[in-house]
Amino acid sequence: MSESTATLEARAPMEARLTQLSMQQALNRALDEVLSTDPKTLVFGEDCGQLGGVFRITDGLQTKHGDTRVFDTPLAESGILGMSVGLAMAGFHPIPEVQFDGFAYPAINQIVCQIARMNYRSRGTLPMPITLRVPSFGGIRAPEHHGESLEALFAHVPGLKVVSPSDPHDAYHLLKYAASRPDPVIFMEPKSRYWQKGDVDTADGGSLTGARVVRPGRHLTLVAWGAMVARCLQVAELAAEDGIDVEVLDLRWLKPIDAATLATSVGKTRRAVVVHEAPLTSGLGAEVAQLITQSCFDTLKAPVERVTGFDVPYPSGDLEDEYIPNIDRILLGIQRVLEYRRG
Amino acid sequence: MAEISFPLPDLGEGLIEATVLDWLVSPGDQVERNQPLVELETTKSALELPSPQAGKVIRIHGAPGETINVGEPLVVFEVPDNTAGIVGTVPKDEAPKRRVRLSAVLDED
Repeated sequence: MSESTATLEARAPMEARLTQLSMQQALNRALDEVLSTDPKTLVFGEDCGQLGGVFRITDGLQTKHGDTRVFDTPLAESGILGMSVGLAMAGFHPIPEVQFDGFAYPAINQIVCQIARMNYRSRGTLPMPITLRVPSFGGIRAPEHHGESLEALFAHVPGLKVVSPSDPHDAYHLLKYAASRPDPVIFMEPKSRYWQKGDVDTADGGSLTGARVVRPGRHLTLVAWGAMVARCLQVAELAAEDGIDVEVLDLRWLKPIDAATLATSVGKTRRAVVVHEAPLTSGLGAEVAQLITQSCFDTLKAPVERVTGFDVPYPSGDLEDEYIPNIDRILLGIQRVLEYRRG
Repeated sequence: MAEISFPLPDLGEGLIEATVLDWLVSPGDQVERNQPLVELETTKSALELPSPQAGKVIRIHGAPGETINVGEPLVVFEVPDNTAGIVGTVPKDEAPKRRVRLSAVLDED
């Protein structure tokens, strides 16, 4: 630490511990710290070692922590997750990476049949302290299979916890938190947000276990997670121009869902729109809408609306803009809720 | 900044080496994807090798007349940390655009 930084910290500890990081850098720093503090942690996956990951999330970690703790694997997702099961059973804390979400499909058997069930199957004697990092969702115009929205699939599986950060601060703290858990956590990183910078308070993560109101508002709650949170914040700004005060709720944990914070928010605003990239049918928006309906039925002014991807396979780059909910589609969803009147 | 090494690929089916004829770029040059990097000669043909990516050339391996084995480093690029990696593009930060305006009469009951 330079002398000037030390002086700054003495004068203003709050400002000094705030640092501007991209989500990519925040995740890298979190992994570095976990590797430094927990000797049982291993980081591995395709290109994680020498290259430092295709998104540079594991950059420099092999050089610093050695190639027995940060290493490349063969191109075999089922093997990566299968090995994670064995390592967890032997007392390690694996943090495997599936290079792109669409390539998690070959490993679904290991995730669902082994990782999610081992603790239950062994009556609690074999917990699976695995944090599976999955660069997730679309928005980078990648080829097929390089952008998917698998949260509903993972969230449906008993035994798995699913979380998705939306900004660098949460990415840093949620990854460290997930890595400290005894349960398997599917950590869905919104890859279109990797390069956006934001303030990270490395000393204080705040509450990490539930949903988070990222913008308070009075008239309507937008519920989103991952990359859609940033878009919903843009929509809230535009809605404010039209006199509509929108609250934006970042769900963060997709399993378990923080039903209490949902109920508090929508209990106040009395209107809700859920936004996600995944297809509409049987998507997580349905679960969120039901939780809201159950707790807020008497106060809701309109049925909970969903603005989502379409019921088609996640498209490749050129069609992404049509598929991912855009600002106008979200605004139209808000308009439908505002216009609703009981017959 | 990160360094990315581009090893000599197999330029035919089962070729094991190529001879450098002439470099078309120098260390320090900024190159675009598909820009010709080097003229090479194999036992089958002479060809121009296009760049697999955009970036700054920081090292080249092999003077004209030298032979390089497939898999050995040919060019080392320097790329900014904020590149998308092997697939995809970094999304641009753009001011939000809208066509839809909200028109709602809020009843405050």
